Amino acid sequence: MKKLVLITASLLVVFSACAVALAQGYETMPEDALIIPLGVEGTLYDFLEPGLRGGTMYISTIGDPKKWNHTTSKETSTTLYTSQMMAGLTNQNPVNGAIEPELAKSWDISDDGLVITFHLRRGIMWSDGTLFGADDVLFTFNDLIYNEDVDTSSRDNIQLPDDTFPVVEKVDDHTVKVTLSMTFRPILTQIGVGIMPKHKLAQYVHKLNPDVPVGTFNETWGLDTDPAELCGLGPFIVESYEPDQQVVMRRNPYHYRYDANGTQLPYIDKYVILTVASQDVSLLKFRNGELDVFGCRPADVPILKAEEAAKDITVMVARDKPVLGTTWITVNQDVGLADGTRENLRNLFRNRKFRIALCHAMDKETMINNLVNGLAVPQWSPVSLLSPFYAGRDYYGGPITETNAVIFEYDLDKAASLLDEIGIIDRNGDGWRDFEDGTTVEMEFNTNVGNTVREGAILIIVDDLNKIGLKAIANPIDFNTLVTKLLSADYDFVYLGLTGGTEPNSGGNVYRPCGTLHAWHYSACEEPYEVEKRIDELLDAGVATLDNDKAFEAYKEYQITLAGEDLGLLYTFNNAYTYVYYNYVGNAQVASPLGSPSSFYGLTWDLVFKKG
Amino acid sequence: MLPLLVLVSLFSFAIIQLMPGDYLTRARLDPQIKQETLNALARRYGLDKPFMTRYLAWVKGILTRGDFGTSFETRQPVFFTLFLGSRLQWTLVVSISTMIITWLFAIPLGIYSATHQYKASDHGLTFFGFLGLSIPNFFFALVVLWLLVAVFKVGNYGLGIGGLFDNRFIAAPWSLAKIGNLLWHIWPAWLVIGTSGMAGLLRYMRGSLLDTLSLQYVQTARAKGLSEHIVVYKHAVRNAINPLISMLGMTLPNLVAGSLVTAIVLNLPTVERAFWSALQMQDEYVIMGGLLFFSLFLLLGNLLADILLAWVDPRIRYN
Repeated sequence: MKKLVLITASLLVVFSACAVALAQGYETMPEDALIIPLGVEGTLYDFLEPGLRGGTMYISTIGDPKKWNHTTSKETSTTLYTSQMMAGLTNQNPVNGAIEPELAKSWDISDDGLVITFHLRRGIMWSDGTLFGADDVLFTFNDLIYNEDVDTSSRDNIQLPDDTFPVVEKVDDHTVKVTLSMTFRPILTQIGVGIMPKHKLAQYVHKLNPDVPVGTFNETWGLDTDPAELCGLGPFIVESYEPDQQVVMRRNPYHYRYDANGTQLPYIDKYVILTVASQDVSLLKFRNGELDVFGCRPADVPILKAEEAAKDITVMVARDKPVLGTTWITVNQDVGLADGTRENLRNLFRNRKFRIALCHAMDKETMINNLVNGLAVPQWSPVSLLSPFYAGRDYYGGPITETNAVIFEYDLDKAASLLDEIGIIDRNGDGWRDFEDGTTVEMEFNTNVGNTVREGAILIIVDDLNKIGLKAIANPIDFNTLVTKLLSADYDFVYLGLTGGTEPNSGGNVYRPCGTLHAWHYSACEEPYEVEKRIDELLDAGVATLDNDKAFEAYKEYQITLAGEDLGLLYTFNNAYTYVYYNYVGNAQVASPLGSPSSFYGLTWDLVFKKG
Repeated sequence: MLPLLVLVSLFSFAIIQLMPGDYLTRARLDPQIKQETLNALARRYGLDKPFMTRYLAWVKGILTRGDFGTSFETRQPVFFTLFLGSRLQWTLVVSISTMIITWLFAIPLGIYSATHQYKASDHGLTFFGFLGLSIPNFFFALVVLWLLVAVFKVGNYGLGIGGLFDNRFIAAPWSLAKIGNLLWHIWPAWLVIGTSGMAGLLRYMRGSLLDTLSLQYVQTARAKGLSEHIVVYKHAVRNAINPLISMLGMTLPNLVAGSLVTAIVLNLPTVERAFWSALQMQDEYVIMGGLLFFSLFLLLGNLLADILLAWVDPRIRYN
């Protein structure tokens, strides 16, 4: 009898354990699930395959997370995790960069483009099993992003050019209406911020719960929070964190994406991110079999290529997918303006022919071959090659033909004759070119010390300028000093890079005459050149239409004007997208810079699986 | 002790202000962030106020609320950020175990070197000691890891490199296998940090013992017919070791601060790494917290040395 009781009891325990396990996740696929047609002919995903469930994947990253709060997170070492936990109304497709429905299953846009009605997916749940609805969307915009007490960079992103914010209102539990004060084409991109769970977080917002002090939300979901408290709609949720060692993420049992066979995504159960302090260690860890995927540097490619067959790995070098962002040399057209000195140099820098001469003296090919093992593409436009608005295309989203590219070929003779033409010649026979008053032209190139690629690049440029008689020196300096010099217009030349995306409007703060990063000509805010006024107009035109073809025309002119007429930033090169994976990782080939930052190494981690 | 800490804090705070830029410098280069937002952040973090105002506010926070400030990055208290997880524990484990290993090797080798003065083995030990001292730690650490991966191919045996554990052990509960794995991961740290400290210690021990061996009481001991073993170990070494124990006070903070580079290359989860990241981001209150912590370590090391000295040498008394 005792035995029977024991067996019954243990069976009960087993059954209840099963019941708990079954309660984790949807019983059947939600009606509004988002289907990713992996391997289905004729779709964007036909080059991938449906995967197998289970397994753990290991990757590594530099630096530790700073918090788990997606809204207030600032840098990639944090958003790497939080963006896996959260999802937005819209998302950028990692394959072609198009804006697609995510939490919103569809939307209607009014004829004037000022009212967008989003229809949310029904029946999908937060990772703790709470139903998702319009209240979460309203909470995210009205109580967090538009709330001045909350530290968030999303607020700047979504602000319209007329300084107003889109008004977000609830129509019913599954419908949200967004009203704009002006036509703003990129709204569908900008609206895709991560939606936060109201049922978990409303209590920490002073506006909704006056019992907590102002600003409490900025400390909410910090590293002191028990990961069990965290919840989201994205594919993975943080499960545990060991500082300086690892972050373990588990699959969200309530994720709303499924493959065409009806298997819920993500495929892998766990996704472990080792936090390391240097890329060299990551490389060794990958070679030692401790990581499954590694975002290698161009310098690592030859070592890994040599091991490709022996280790059964694939090294991806995607020249057609350069990383997003720009690298450039900027010529300070306001040099000495603040204290009324160096007028000669300022006039020279303001001379467009001088800047063209500089372009002809930039040997991008040598830079690419010597500094990054040839794994880069020359850059000429501020807009990414991957953007459908890239001026190297003939029409919006068309194939890249480069017929419109503004390319100054490397030609020192041409550079020298341009200098002769503007009267910068050697007047005293010492081998260096002089101003009209006989003083030698002297200038300095700065970049951040420790970045060997940038240090090498300015050395190559300086060497070429010396060859044509320009007395230039290279002087790498501390990063913060460099930024301070750049932003206070206290420099001659700076070599640096900026982050960027595929939406040209995101460059407004750099290229508009009054932009805070218009660091080559701050005085343009008061006295813009004609060409700078035109750039401002073109940026306005690019967002003021919902017609992508019209926007493309504006952005094409914008890019050609910037690269050929304005010559504020002289672009250098953009690294090819490189990464490496063990061949047992399925669907790893989807990786693309377009996938980031919402994914890691550009990989859409909910599609990756471990081959049997 | 306290006035010293106050001075240290004032100087450190001033030096941090001398560093170019501030915590928001990086954000200023982000095209997505507007000037108004940056200004609002500067106000929130107090970065728009003059140096003395901020320093006094910081000191006031410590005195009245025991509040050492909040990290800009994590929005959590400074020491929470620095000691998060097991960082403090691992710092102590790594530095104290390295110190013990260094002493265990350096003292006997120093004695051997002194008693075999100018012999080939003495020169050999000196050579290897200085080799360890002169190889930069970051380079040596990388070479060790590279040898393990590319030459010995430890991955084929399921062994990981860097950090304190293999992936599968990081979150696992303690077991014999986990301790074994810890030993596998910690020896490169012993080797790299240990060899850099060994040469100095070895030479000190050698010099100090040679001095002692030339003293008259040692000659007396020999004249009494005591065996060489007893002369050296019982009479000479006990006196020769005193200056080294005073040195201990200085080695302890060196182990903590000096292993920064090694901790980064070997990927050790210690306080130094959190401090390093704060330095890079100019998360100034965390830097201050870290500096105070390292100063405290220095003072503790000196205290420990004094106590040890009194213990090994009955002639020394603190009244």
